Amino acid sequence: MKEILKSIRRTPYQSLSAFLTLFFSLFLSAVIFISLAFLYGLLAYIETRPQVTVYFQTNVEENKIFKIREDLNNSGKVASVKYISQKEAFEIYKKLNKDNPLLLEMISSDILPASLEIYAKKPIFLPEIAEYLKKQPGVDEVQFQKDIVDRLLTLTNILRTAAISFFIFLILMTIIVLTTSISFKIALRKEEIELLRLIGASDFYIRKPFLKESFFLGFIAVTSSFILIVGLLFYFQPFLNSYLRGIPHLFLSLDNFQIQVWPLSLIFLGITYIFSLFFGLSISSIATYFATKKYLKV
Amino acid sequence: MIIFDKVTKKFPLGNFALNEVTFEINDKEFVFLVGPSGAGKTTVLKLILREFIPTSGTIKVNDWEISSRHFKKILSLRRKIGVVFQDFKILNDKTVFENVALSLKVIGMSLNKIKEEVKEALRLVNLSDKEKVFPLQLSAGELQRVAIARAVVGEREILLADEPTGNLDPKTSWEIMKIFKRLEGKRTIIIASHNVDIVNSMQKRVLLLKEGKLIKDIKKGRYELS
Repeated sequence: MKEILKSIRRTPYQSLSAFLTLFFSLFLSAVIFISLAFLYGLLAYIETRPQVTVYFQTNVEENKIFKIREDLNNSGKVASVKYISQKEAFEIYKKLNKDNPLLLEMISSDILPASLEIYAKKPIFLPEIAEYLKKQPGVDEVQFQKDIVDRLLTLTNILRTAAISFFIFLILMTIIVLTTSISFKIALRKEEIELLRLIGASDFYIRKPFLKESFFLGFIAVTSSFILIVGLLFYFQPFLNSYLRGIPHLFLSLDNFQIQVWPLSLIFLGITYIFSLFFGLSISSIATYFATKKYLKV
Repeated sequence: MIIFDKVTKKFPLGNFALNEVTFEINDKEFVFLVGPSGAGKTTVLKLILREFIPTSGTIKVNDWEISSRHFKKILSLRRKIGVVFQDFKILNDKTVFENVALSLKVIGMSLNKIKEEVKEALRLVNLSDKEKVFPLQLSAGELQRVAIARAVVGEREILLADEPTGNLDPKTSWEIMKIFKRLEGKRTIIIASHNVDIVNSMQKRVLLLKEGKLIKDIKKGRYELS
């Protein structure tokens, strides 16, 4: 530790530039990681929602709705159909807006439409079911969930590709800036390195102090950027709460393992920190390797 | 044993640093490499340390053919050799103790053993009272003694010294040579020097180089350039 601090004091500007580069890269990487996790969580959530929802005009009699439900059940294309009456819709509305009495005062149960939530046996049946429902009398709106899922999937794929490209750019930029900063430090200790080589020091022994310093700066950058992210997440929590209103949980599914993304969980934050730490320490080691390489030729 | 067999070292511009030099140095032998500036003394030391690879010829150190481009045991070789460099190569931001300890730290010796060995080496060069001092507070003679302590500490079998008295006054030069004399018989010692008085007084084996060629190899030699 004493040696690390001594080296930082010896070249404060190079250390600061290495720290800031790492800090911003790690901060942006963690933001990308968290955003993608939210998007995938949202996608997974939407996929669990009814695939077709049909809203009826408020004056439609329940019998007619039940008739449509029966026809759907008999079609052999539907896995299940759930009827939400106007009263049930109002109960759901009350639950969602329990903190907003103004909105509750303005609405009564006869304003809200009754609906059917339909899960198809196969996604291929969805357009057919939607077309059938649109032709039925008294139908106000048909929400075809597949459209939303497809759009979100496309958006997630575009964002993932953009994030990976940006991430690669970030890695390259960070490695180049770090390598340059470490090279400056090494140049100042050129004589010492030459001596170490001549008295039989191994490559690892020569690299060790630079690695230690990079790891130290990496660790500080990871921890400080993570604290900033957690702070921002908690600061924007009310906004996120209202934006994601009605979505109780978002999960990121990895094979048989699920991580709760929203509301924020310790496991998700822990994984984000470990991911940042791994990323930070990896690029620190790679940059140190490249910076020291040319001085280690025997 | 160190064997040079028809060793030639030619630099990229075409000038010869060594030209077909052949000699053998036995274990624990004390040898002076003498000759004027540019004779090839430092090149011989750098070849032994494997800082240079010869253009042609064979060099063997303790049965290792170190002249091969594929020689892999460079670390092991260098850990057997202690070097007193012409420019001392003492690190100014480390104390005398830390400078000497460096030779042992690189081979992974334990801290207790390092303390013991460094104290012993500093005793040998009469610098026991200066172990916590920084190099900038030392005279040239003292710096040279630190360099010697760093070269002899531990189990280094070969000691190479490149002009160890080059920058020193005659009195200090003799003090330095006394240290080398104390080490005689304990390891192979090769000293590159053009200090006529010292070489002649020590009466050791002398390899005389001139313009990259070995001119003379005298058992109890004198430094005669004529």
